[in-house]
Amino acid sequence: MTTFLTLLLNGLSLGAIYALIALGFSVIFKASEVVSFMHGSLLLFGAYTIAQLNAEIGFLPAVALGVAATAGIGLLVERLLINRLRGTAVITLAILTIGVDIILVTELTRRIGSDILNVGHPWGGEFVRLGEVGITENRLYAMLTAVVLMGLFFVAFKFSSWGVAMRAAAEDGETAALMGIRRGRVSAVAWVVGAGLAAVAGLFLVGSPTPGVSPGVTSVALRAFPAAILGGLDSTGGAVIGGLIIGIAEALASGYQEQLLFLGRGFGDVVPYVVMILVLLVRPSGLFGTKELTRV
Amino acid sequence: MKLGHRTGVLLTATVLVAASGCSTKAQDGDDTATTAEGEVKTGRGIEGNTITLGVLTDLTGVFAALGADITNAHTLYWEKQNAGDKVCGKYTVELDIKDTNYQPAQGVQLYSGMKDSVLAMQQTIGSPINAALTEAYKADAIVNIPPAWARSLTELPGNATPGATYDVELTNGLSYALEKGLIQEGDTIGHIYFEGEYGAGGLEGSKYMAEKHNFKIVEAKIKPTDADMSTQITQFKAAGVKAIALTVAPTQTASAAGVAATQGLDVPIIGSNPVFAPGLLKGPAAAALKKNLIVSSPVNTIDKHPELLEEYTAKFPNVTVSNGVVLGAGMSDAMRQILDKACENGDLTPEGVLAAKTSLDNVETDGLIVPLNFTQVGQSPSRQNFILQPADVPGGAKALTEAIESDDVEGLTK
Repeated sequence: MTTFLTLLLNGLSLGAIYALIALGFSVIFKASEVVSFMHGSLLLFGAYTIAQLNAEIGFLPAVALGVAATAGIGLLVERLLINRLRGTAVITLAILTIGVDIILVTELTRRIGSDILNVGHPWGGEFVRLGEVGITENRLYAMLTAVVLMGLFFVAFKFSSWGVAMRAAAEDGETAALMGIRRGRVSAVAWVVGAGLAAVAGLFLVGSPTPGVSPGVTSVALRAFPAAILGGLDSTGGAVIGGLIIGIAEALASGYQEQLLFLGRGFGDVVPYVVMILVLLVRPSGLFGTKELTRV
Repeated sequence: MKLGHRTGVLLTATVLVAASGCSTKAQDGDDTATTAEGEVKTGRGIEGNTITLGVLTDLTGVFAALGADITNAHTLYWEKQNAGDKVCGKYTVELDIKDTNYQPAQGVQLYSGMKDSVLAMQQTIGSPINAALTEAYKADAIVNIPPAWARSLTELPGNATPGATYDVELTNGLSYALEKGLIQEGDTIGHIYFEGEYGAGGLEGSKYMAEKHNFKIVEAKIKPTDADMSTQITQFKAAGVKAIALTVAPTQTASAAGVAATQGLDVPIIGSNPVFAPGLLKGPAAAALKKNLIVSSPVNTIDKHPELLEEYTAKFPNVTVSNGVVLGAGMSDAMRQILDKACENGDLTPEGVLAAKTSLDNVETDGLIVPLNFTQVGQSPSRQNFILQPADVPGGAKALTEAIESDDVEGLTK
């Protein structure tokens, strides 16, 4: 039972981080119809910037600046590339984000080398024990932060004028534009939010039990993809649920790999994708995604 | 919109060009004629009194820091050698250093650019790049020193692997732990390993030891991109492991040690040599690593070679020194001995150097790396390893032993 609870708690905390990333995917997709393949580099950029600044200016200012800088990159990409190419095939824009991702990751990898940068979280490697079950403070704070940020996001989404505008733009872009909603601005804010969330996820991803900033962090974004897709790419609530499902499934599959040996070793790595495929077989638009209707 | 399209095409093109990277292919002069230089036959890779050795390293990819340390150490070693005894009493050595960015395709391209002008390869970093170049090295009679210890590398007669293969390494590590009472016969041991040859090699060692000493191995296979070892350690704890074996990279080592501490799993951790990097001692897992980790390594620590440390830091100030410097110096010393042997045989052609390499059965590098036997193809070039422990010294680790060969290794390498 202890093992199960430990794995569950781990899965939940990992899922909370996936959820933050998936929420970013989802917001960006909703506002600009672009699937962002550059979230891996945004995670790495956020974590790298925070790690570099921490030594100079202290933890909290470094986090604020790191998140702002990452959000700035999101804004830059949206303004310079996505916005200017509005109307181009969606696939072109998606590939464009891959290009930006490669450039960013290459440069960051060069800077990091094979070193492991320590972010210097004030909580370090400390952990809390709830009976027999232990979790690192870093992951605990990750969960709390994720809950707070997601709460704030949903309030903003529901009640702020940006939230209303975004929902309207996602529902029917042209009509929304005719009603005076500035789609460009909605899209820009979405990129800022998506990139900012990636930086926050990056901050926690490179903390204990993960040792620090290394280029491998980018691969986590790929695992958050199935989370966003199985939740329904255009559903922000779905992204959160999807993140948690993937986190828990992955933790349980890796933790019980001896018992799941008939599926082969390393099953934990493929679990996010297996779950995604299974969900999509039953619900092609994801758990909470909008069903596409095409009239013939 | 027209402008938008054009800008888009331009940007995409820029992105693609930048992403694919640019490479410069150095076409050095063709020098394949065999000339008689006194008593010694020479050929490709020697012009006048200069021998050129190739270095395919990683200065900008995932192993950039290690690549730089090893390569800098080569430079330092040959500068000193050129100013002193030289090779064969007359030849100075020049290094043709190229950065592969850890990309096999780049490595193959760079090698084809240098192959007509190099006598041998002082370094080819990375198993994928070595694998990609196997046929070319065979065809060109290249003697190559790969800073990697996979068993498959020893299959190529020209490869001078600088130390024991991964299976031997872990066998020595576990044997040391057993001897020191860190683990007992019949214990359950959790082994986290990378998929692929490196991990498989380490696992072979732990499985061999399990058979011999009645250990029960709980396996956890991971990908190099997995950085969080929580679930694996949870699984180990549930299985009641008494020790953890690692054949992974430093990221996973730090995570495993940190998580084990979190979960109150206070057990020894025995690792293959690539599991450790000095940077880990700056992270949150430092205390756990210093307490529980021992590393079985073909390379000695730099604090045992103060002269090298001093020369290195004088020439390359402001860098974090790792034991990669010792490895680089050891690799150069091994190459020097191969070239000296070829000179002694009167044949410094690539074929002559290859013959010299395969005839050396005891290459001692003054304690930099373990003694090497290059005569047996497909066999581990050594049965010995140093046992290291993370500590606050230059290079981040201190040697607990000299090069040791455990009794268990014999059955493994027969």
